[in-house]
Amino acid sequence: MASSETPKAGKISSLKDLQAIKERVLTDTALRADGYKVCITVHMGTCGIAAGAREIMNTLMDELAASGRRDIRITTSGCIGVCVHEPVMTVERLNSEPVIYAKLDANKARLIFREDALGGKTVSQLALGVGKES
Amino acid sequence: MAVENACACGEKLSEEELLAKLDEVLLEYKDKPGALIPVLQIAQGMLGYLPETALKRIALGLNKPYSEVAGVVSFYAFFSTSPRGKNVIRVCLGTACYVRGGKNVLDALKHQLKIDVGETTKDHLFSLEVARCFGACGLAPTIAINDKVYKRVRPTKVGEILEQYKEAAKQGEAHG
Amino acid sequence: MKTPRLHMMMCFGTACVASGAPKVKEALVRELQKHGMQSDVALVETGCNGFCAGGPIITVYPGGTFYHDVTPHDVAELVEEHVVKGRPVERLMFRHPVTQKVIPCVKDIPFFARQCVRVLHNKGRIAAESMEEYIAQDGYAALEHALKMTPEQIIDEVKKSGLRGRGGAGFPTGLKWEFCRKAAGDVKYILCNADEGDPGAFMDRSLLEADPHAVLEGMMIGARAIGAKEGYIYCRAEYPLALERLDAAIKQCRERGLLGKGILGSDFDFDIFVSQGSGAFVCGEETALMRSVEGFRGEPRPRPPFPAQKGLWDKPSVLNNVETFGNIPLIIRNGFEWYRSVGTAKSPGTKIFALTGKVANIGLVEVPIGISLGEIVYDIGGGIPNGKKFKAAQIGGPSGGCIPKEHLNVPVDYETLVELGAIMGSGGLIVMDEDSCMVDMARFFLDFVQEESCGKCTPCRVGTKRMLEILDRICEGKGEMADIDKLQALGEQIKDTALCGLGQTAPNPVLSTLRHFREEYVAHIRDKKCPAGICAALVKAPCQNACPAGVNVPGFVSLTGEKRYAEALQLHRERNPFASVCARVCFHTCEDKCRRDTVDDSLAIRQVKRFLVEQEVTVQVPEIRENEVNAKKHVAIVGAGPAGLSCAYFLARLGYRPRVFEAEPRPGGMLVQAIPAYRLPREELAREVRMIERMGVDIEADSRLGRDFTLKGLREEGYEAIFLAVGAPTGTKLGIPGEELQGVTDGIRFLREYNLRGSVPVGKKVAVIGGGNAAIDAARTAIRLGAKSVTVLYRRTRDEMPAYAEEITEAEHEGVQLRTLIAPTELIGKNGKVTAVKCSPMLLGEFDRSGRRRPKEKNDAPILVEVDQVIAAIGQSLNASEAMDGIQVNLNKNGFFAVNPTTGQTNVEWLFAGGDAVLGPSSVAEAVAAGEKAAVGIDAMLSGEAHAFWREERAVDTKFDPEAEPVEYARAEARLIPVSKRKNNFAEVELPLTEGAATRECRRCLRCDFREET
Repeated sequence: MASSETPKAGKISSLKDLQAIKERVLTDTALRADGYKVCITVHMGTCGIAAGAREIMNTLMDELAASGRRDIRITTSGCIGVCVHEPVMTVERLNSEPVIYAKLDANKARLIFREDALGGKTVSQLALGVGKES
Repeated sequence: MAVENACACGEKLSEEELLAKLDEVLLEYKDKPGALIPVLQIAQGMLGYLPETALKRIALGLNKPYSEVAGVVSFYAFFSTSPRGKNVIRVCLGTACYVRGGKNVLDALKHQLKIDVGETTKDHLFSLEVARCFGACGLAPTIAINDKVYKRVRPTKVGEILEQYKEAAKQGEAHG
Repeated sequence: MKTPRLHMMMCFGTACVASGAPKVKEALVRELQKHGMQSDVALVETGCNGFCAGGPIITVYPGGTFYHDVTPHDVAELVEEHVVKGRPVERLMFRHPVTQKVIPCVKDIPFFARQCVRVLHNKGRIAAESMEEYIAQDGYAALEHALKMTPEQIIDEVKKSGLRGRGGAGFPTGLKWEFCRKAAGDVKYILCNADEGDPGAFMDRSLLEADPHAVLEGMMIGARAIGAKEGYIYCRAEYPLALERLDAAIKQCRERGLLGKGILGSDFDFDIFVSQGSGAFVCGEETALMRSVEGFRGEPRPRPPFPAQKGLWDKPSVLNNVETFGNIPLIIRNGFEWYRSVGTAKSPGTKIFALTGKVANIGLVEVPIGISLGEIVYDIGGGIPNGKKFKAAQIGGPSGGCIPKEHLNVPVDYETLVELGAIMGSGGLIVMDEDSCMVDMARFFLDFVQEESCGKCTPCRVGTKRMLEILDRICEGKGEMADIDKLQALGEQIKDTALCGLGQTAPNPVLSTLRHFREEYVAHIRDKKCPAGICAALVKAPCQNACPAGVNVPGFVSLTGEKRYAEALQLHRERNPFASVCARVCFHTCEDKCRRDTVDDSLAIRQVKRFLVEQEVTVQVPEIRENEVNAKKHVAIVGAGPAGLSCAYFLARLGYRPRVFEAEPRPGGMLVQAIPAYRLPREELAREVRMIERMGVDIEADSRLGRDFTLKGLREEGYEAIFLAVGAPTGTKLGIPGEELQGVTDGIRFLREYNLRGSVPVGKKVAVIGGGNAAIDAARTAIRLGAKSVTVLYRRTRDEMPAYAEEITEAEHEGVQLRTLIAPTELIGKNGKVTAVKCSPMLLGEFDRSGRRRPKEKNDAPILVEVDQVIAAIGQSLNASEAMDGIQVNLNKNGFFAVNPTTGQTNVEWLFAGGDAVLGPSSVAEAVAAGEKAAVGIDAMLSGEAHAFWREERAVDTKFDPEAEPVEYARAEARLIPVSKRKNNFAEVELPLTEGAATRECRRCLRCDFREET
């Protein structure tokens, strides 16, 4: 661990230095926090993976890192039974109904992340439906 | 006997080298306050135990009376003036094992190894200790050699068990 | 580089590493690579998570899914399911020990949820070796803040927080700092005591492993406060991982300027060095520790001067323990008011305990000071495993003491623990169950201190040795009653005169067990008995040791195994005449202690006996020694229950011809009056009563003390000794309104009426109040007599019910309903007849003196249970004075007769008592034991000598091959007749084992009684 920190290891000589480290590390470790405002679930059953769910996942992770947001959580789940529409993901904003997006690709995922997860607006042209998977 | 000689001889050589290394450590620590205990720890780490030769060297190197060095060594349980064996045998003397003849097993071990509790055999292969309960009371009496627990040990079977370790040691030497 | 979407927090504390965490990590790395997902998942090594018994442990974020006991074999599934498909693996999750329900999330597991995590906040949350992750959790913010305060302000804040030293005695930390700050001199030192040497303690190790920077930060703030430029951490060499993490943390601090010159741009210069302890327990004492850092033998010196004046290298010094320093950053960062928001007024904050011993969740816990011991043991610790009972908790290690179950409810704080004879200590908390011998435990700790005594002062060196010699003697059965006072006196003396704190507290484990468990010492000395079955010299076999009557269990079991049934029965009746009765109704404490349990399951001893008594054709009467002198003596026994009849039986074996007076028409006491025939067929009892009669015992039925005869009258008739075995025949009243209503009765009256007269009025809707055996017997009897519904109302939960578990289960099978956590408050009637029971819903509250949770009202709406009959079975009592006609007999605190426990003699020389009349409602085997003791006591009084020949142990000549492996049969299962065939009658429910099954069961015995020839 110590070695991985050496590249950025500079002297800490003020409150500002401490705060800078805190900000950076908190972003890296945000997903350990209990609370979150947006939960994105990528459905990664065998079908999902075959249809490209992994690429969706990678895109979302890159987007999340770029956004610097700590209150968005990205998880995976198994198949939800709409295999023809794969890859599928669900975006659930706190206190609102989850929205299922289907037939995704990297660009669509990026758009949904920015519009829905960050912007708080459902991207209705890509939405398959509203409601929890059963 | 041949084996023992070879062993002692090999040790002597390395011990001399190690003692030379110890001198370097002594040089480094000579003027530091409270140096004795760290030096003893380093020495034991290098040699595995603290032979008299090492203690004398340390006394000399740190400019302390030998009695003080020996006094510190005898005070702390961590320091050992005799090497611990390659295999540590612990005989359970918890209730179940005790009533089931754990003491007889211990006596048999003492007899076979020709050492007492807390001692190590001359060939450095075995140390003997007593312990309380390994949690296998249903299969008393038990002994443990390193991490392996032997259940229902009979005094007459102790020899057999020791033989396995002696054999393993010989093989190890042959390969090494 | 990709951002990982999952963080797997892997516990890399010492315990988890030992149980294989590194191997699991290797497997994870391999498996992730196989899926090409190594950059999707961050594997983070954390410090000790605290749930040490379940290692290796992995917590997966997001979500905080908690996996325990993970092996390399589980890794493929874990990656495939959880990482790839996002499906958490239920199999590896925590299950509630009672409900068996899966609890997926770490924060919901009671072990964690009930804790108050402050000092250990970062455990398992941050990578243990990452300084930056520590900073992200506000690490070093307190230091930055402190550097802007004056040293006096820092000390003031710590003083106001009320923080007390967490290493043992609880001295206020702020005060200690102030003394040192004010001491003259430029050079001062701050030291951290991490020489945790108590057996069973690992708090400091865990904190150092999980969050080393917190300790460093605390030391830095302390150094600033007292004006020290150098600090030392004295850490045991036996803690390699803690040492490694400390070294790494110190190195990081030096590299990044948090140690060294001008820290955080201030004028504060400070550095920390690690000094390795070398395994001397006494070095936990502050003056000894400082000598050791200086490089000498770590012997303590007298105080004053205190280290705050003259400490390390004779300079003013402060020594605090690891946990104390861990608290400092919290106080400075959040302020003293926040800090004081948990804990008690005198002891604010939290305390970390290392919970070990006989408790389900072994591990590290942090709790608010003032929490009750019961909450720690039961709510967080998950209670005692294997259905055993809590006996005591040892707190404070070799300097501490035991807290017995009577005090489960006391707040755990510095003052209360000292009052009870323990100390907070550094936080070792060892839970002991019924199988722990308190004398042996005291010996263990004393042995430890004796070995670790530095030898400088005589009281500690010689005094503890003397105490140990006495304890050794007691454990070997060679103790004398005077030894108890000797131990007490020696202990007090050492306390007053030893040089250092460790010597002064060394006698504590002995003194506290003497205080709370004196009767166990007495049992070892007087009765030569170790109740827990631990002390080797006093225990032949654990089953026999556990039997109140002392029946040679391995003997009769092995004889049965060889089909030598007559000999087996005779051996049983050497110590207990009621073989056939006990084969049916015995509580079988023997099985609870059976050592076979550690292999698979305990031996079905009662069932073997049940089979054995079925084989009896001619009653096997044991040896009788005719004695003409004794035959002429007059001995009266009042009460023909198991205690009275046993007393008669053993007297008859010595040649006496005692006369037994029984108030009811039939002999047998509770065996015939209370225990229903479906559990004990009447003929079985009658057969054994006949056997006793044939030995020369006269039984006079329908002869009631007080009505038909008096004690004084018996004396006048020439009876030289009288044994009172009148039982506890009166049902306890409920003490609530409506008890006078028609249809309300008590359990004993109900059962007696049916069992003796053959009929009793039974309602259609019956409520039985109580949870004991009488309650269950009454309920099952009511079902058999045609009640439509029978409901047992009990104010605690099923777990707390005193009735035998198998009886409760069978009652349910037969249709009895259990309603628990419900307490009757009023019986409601109409036209003088009971119609309903008004009940309050209850919940379990604090622990009472029996170690059980006390039910308390829930403040919910009352519940009405409709009934036409109420049977109250909440207890039995004895109106002792009633029949004494003026003879002053001493009573014990429960209102029963007080007797000499070895002889049964009361304060009146010729009057003896035993059974339920002394103990309150208890088991048949205990009654038999009481009868036997009284017989021996009466004989000793009359003859002046001891003749109890049956107490001599005789070897059994059955075959046993100690070399053979134990047979692999599973425990024999009981055979019961189907519910439909028993619900409407009183046929015996249980069937005996077949001969094959019984003899197989006998061979499962491990023969603990077998001794090697020495």
